[in-house]
Amino acid sequence: MIKKLLAPAVLAAVLSGCASTSTTGQANNNDPFEGFNRSMFRFNESVDRAVLKPVAQGYVDVVPEGARSCIGNMFGNLGDVWSMMNMFLQNRAPDGINSMFRVLFNSTLGVFGCFDLAAQNGLPRNKADFGQTLGVWGVGSGPYLVLPLLGPSTIRDTAGLAGDFVFDPVSIGQINDHATRYGLYGLKFTDKRAQYLGAETFLYDVSLDPYAFTRDAYLQRRASLIRTGREMDDDEASLPVYEDPDDEPAPVPAAQ
Amino acid sequence: MKRLMLSVSSAMRSAVIGLFAVMMVAGAASARAQATPEALIEQVGSQLLKIVKTDTAVQRGELPALLKVVDENVLPYVDFEKTTRLAAGRHWRQATEAQRQSLINEFRMTLVRTYSGAVSQVKQDTRIELRPARYAADATDVVVRTQILQSAGEPIQVDYRLEKQSQGWKIYDVNVMGIWLIENYRNQFSQEIGQHGFDGLIKSLATRNQSFAQAR
Repeated sequence: MIKKLLAPAVLAAVLSGCASTSTTGQANNNDPFEGFNRSMFRFNESVDRAVLKPVAQGYVDVVPEGARSCIGNMFGNLGDVWSMMNMFLQNRAPDGINSMFRVLFNSTLGVFGCFDLAAQNGLPRNKADFGQTLGVWGVGSGPYLVLPLLGPSTIRDTAGLAGDFVFDPVSIGQINDHATRYGLYGLKFTDKRAQYLGAETFLYDVSLDPYAFTRDAYLQRRASLIRTGREMDDDEASLPVYEDPDDEPAPVPAAQ
Repeated sequence: MKRLMLSVSSAMRSAVIGLFAVMMVAGAASARAQATPEALIEQVGSQLLKIVKTDTAVQRGELPALLKVVDENVLPYVDFEKTTRLAAGRHWRQATEAQRQSLINEFRMTLVRTYSGAVSQVKQDTRIELRPARYAADATDVVVRTQILQSAGEPIQVDYRLEKQSQGWKIYDVNVMGIWLIENYRNQFSQEIGQHGFDGLIKSLATRNQSFAQAR
């Protein structure tokens, strides 16, 4: 109950707190908390190495692939309900209706979401979350923020996360029984992590600075999702503008 | 944690698949000079997908095989000098010709490493589909939008930015799920050059490239 009361307050704080940021959807490297963020990034990576990754590896070793796919699909199916609601909140009725069909189809013929029959029949999953909805409504991202355990975020997306948690009618957070709730959280995150086993070395293979790589990718990706939400996908103004060193005159040596 | 995994790994995954997609796109041997950018992307993409689906050495991610595919099928359709130049930004102007060439080579190798992991993700039912795009008929800088589809998993949006040059359209940037390649490397390049100079950046990429080649 208390969660329901808190939500508007959180929302108001956010709306007032970061409305000043650009709403062009262009990613910027708004990172005044870089020092804090970098230590949180390192902390998250150590936790991942020490706990999350080994647990996910154990899960993959023990649970057969068919069962894992079923579990992932069932969580995905529940997630589709909240995605659908966000699409309607973003005034994207056609996408919302597609998600609704996915849920109806997968919950029945797909046996409570165990099989993603909708995707196999040409209706792939399309996600939407409350942080994106806030962005579509015009809330600026605010500074980049690395959250403990939850990872890359912004001030706005952190508020969005709180919204996801509080408003999602079929979220695990709505379950009152503690043991069931934390058990399901554990399973959900383990399953998610297991899908990306092997991906972690990649970050170190391809980037000069994994922190900056992750940050820039996250900010660009979120800005792009918000453009999608606003149906501005085709807007040429959203293209990055690169200064081409060849287009500019060579620096003139200073006259003596 | 969900967010951490979701965003970090989707970024990582996206980058892998995207770079691989650059290669796919650029792959076809017989691009017609008069082709529209869409026709170029479509033809090349399906051609390269075919190579990856049939060539077992490429599927195993063997470095020499991948490099050969890139050199023969990709680089002719990419203005990689431009990609590197834009990623280096204003620092490019202070670099000597030799430094520029080294950076181009090491950056190219970095990208080859990046997609070497992605080829294993290509399934027999993977296909490429064009998404609608708008640009003026006389445009010389355009974006072609596509998505990669397979029966399992979410569609992956991949866009290509091309420039019309005297020899025809050339790709110089790629966007995977909203993330532009050049934009994503620009900050890291600038940071590395700021701390260790242009040679420092080259060396940093080279070190990573070497340790990767040795691990193989």
